[in-house]
Amino acid sequence: MVRQANAVDFWRGLALVFIFINHIPGIYYGRFTHANYSLSDSADLFVFLAGWALRLMVGTPERRQSTWYLVLRLGGRAITLYAAQILITMIALAVLAGCAILLDNPLLLEWHNAAAVFHDPVTTHVGLALITHQLGYFDILPLYVVLMLMAPIIAIIDRYIPQTLLPISLLFYLATLLIPIPFRTWPVEGLWFFNPLAWQLIFVLGFVMAREDGLGGFVRRHIVPIRWISVPIVLAGVAFMLSGWWPDPTKFPRPRLLFLIDKTYDTPPRLIQFLALIALMSATYPYILRASKMLVNFLSMLGRNSLYVFCVGSILSLAGQIVRHIYQGNLLIDTAVVISGIAIMALTAWLPEWREDVRVRRGTAAAQPS
Amino acid sequence: MPAPFSHDCQAGTTATASDSPLPNVAAALAKHKKIKILAIGASASAGRGARHGGYTGEARQILRQAIKGLDVEMINRGISGELATQAAARIKNEVALLEPDMVLWQVGTNDALAYVPIEDLKATVVDTLTWLKEHKIDTVLVGLQYIDRMEQDEHYRKVRDMLRDVAAKENVLIVRRYEAQRLLSQAAVSGGGLFPDEFQRTEAGYTCLAQYMARAITLGIFGPGGLGPRSAPPAIGPQPQQPPSAPPTRM
Repeated sequence: MVRQANAVDFWRGLALVFIFINHIPGIYYGRFTHANYSLSDSADLFVFLAGWALRLMVGTPERRQSTWYLVLRLGGRAITLYAAQILITMIALAVLAGCAILLDNPLLLEWHNAAAVFHDPVTTHVGLALITHQLGYFDILPLYVVLMLMAPIIAIIDRYIPQTLLPISLLFYLATLLIPIPFRTWPVEGLWFFNPLAWQLIFVLGFVMAREDGLGGFVRRHIVPIRWISVPIVLAGVAFMLSGWWPDPTKFPRPRLLFLIDKTYDTPPRLIQFLALIALMSATYPYILRASKMLVNFLSMLGRNSLYVFCVGSILSLAGQIVRHIYQGNLLIDTAVVISGIAIMALTAWLPEWREDVRVRRGTAAAQPS
Repeated sequence: MPAPFSHDCQAGTTATASDSPLPNVAAALAKHKKIKILAIGASASAGRGARHGGYTGEARQILRQAIKGLDVEMINRGISGELATQAAARIKNEVALLEPDMVLWQVGTNDALAYVPIEDLKATVVDTLTWLKEHKIDTVLVGLQYIDRMEQDEHYRKVRDMLRDVAAKENVLIVRRYEAQRLLSQAAVSGGGLFPDEFQRTEAGYTCLAQYMARAITLGIFGPGGLGPRSAPPAIGPQPQQPPSAPPTRM
């Protein structure tokens, strides 16, 4: 049986749709995603909800799984994510190479950090397997793989000394920003787009807040004043995004990473704005549910099947970019790209649920006495 | 001495770079014998030998050989797929963190492919160049590539022309690989080219780009006459005859 629509799956589904659109730079509908009005974007939401989902995997204190089973289960999940990353990267490379040949345009081989794969394949294939070489917009899953490799440690700390989990996570985050500790790409010189040592904090925050007690309980009990505090923070973010005004980064005191708006290190201004944003937006879910149950069901379906939908959405974003390039991006093409993309993502989510439904019905029928 | 060209890249040396000084790089060189270059752009490390830093790594090697005792720190912060507006925000952050003497910005390709309006792109580039100047950081722009197919694309041509115009107006050095690659391409069509296949030419273009870039930087530091005062426009490598079909270069 599939899960009923719920807030976590709904927001996850929305994040997947926004990621799909935001990964097609220049598309008209990009202006309707919250990335244009917020210091944080769908990536923060995706990782936070991944942490929340980890809580569901780990279970509550009352329904504990054995530690070894848990470690193996989380390790298995990391391998699944790794396999997904390798699969979609290879498909993306094939799409770029195929289109470069069909369109007789070698420029496509250089798109999205693919150049090294084609120009220096021997070394770069090692980098692909190590996930230290990442194509542009195919850089969230490597982060997720590393977070899932950290997940057994997170789960064990949470089980035995839960009150230390968030302080330890915060310590690693601050050390990463203050030293700073870069996560380097290889063989092409550069940094991971998402530094896992910084982004683990938002993952852990999702994990901790999903719990009914501790910080999660505190937030639930004081959600009204938290929302009041969040209003000016979110509004300041909107004002910044619309006006472009932010103090000159070279004028900040050191260590400057604490004050910059930076995605790689998920710096404090961005993180604080994100927390304020979810505090506010979480209030809207009951109203959205009342206004459009169909929308909630639809996005929840995407959210329930997030890995499949994310993988297909990543390839669709790349395909969308190529289609926009061929047809020189106009409103009609952009509309077609978005509608067909979301439809294919929906089909991707629907198929495994339909398969599961058939399996359950057959099982039920077989169990019935003839 | 300006950095030399290899034989393969001489075909495309006509006007590969503009004549613009790099006073902040020259000052850093005089003061510390060290320059710090921040490379930003879609494929900052593309080309053969990715593990050695790609074309920016090659340029660093050439610069070290051309200027005795020079220590060049090349920091690659290319993010693939990002548009100029995102790169512009990141440049400011990276400048605050790394404090480079020069920014090497490969700009325009992603915006051209995504059909970002020319005026928006222009505003972003001008704003960023102004900000860098105010912060006493030199900039070298790396322009678009020449691709036969993209010759038919009006937007692509407009982006290329806009970048050249902006570089001229702002007195910023631009490495014009478009012209260089077009000459390589035309030489190939007439049977004299070293890289008959366009895919190979694009790849080889990165080796040449490293050389053009190193040459432009040495000229930007020392001027065309070597270490002497800057007086005449630079003669950047051998100057082959411009093919009749090629439009005049603007700078």
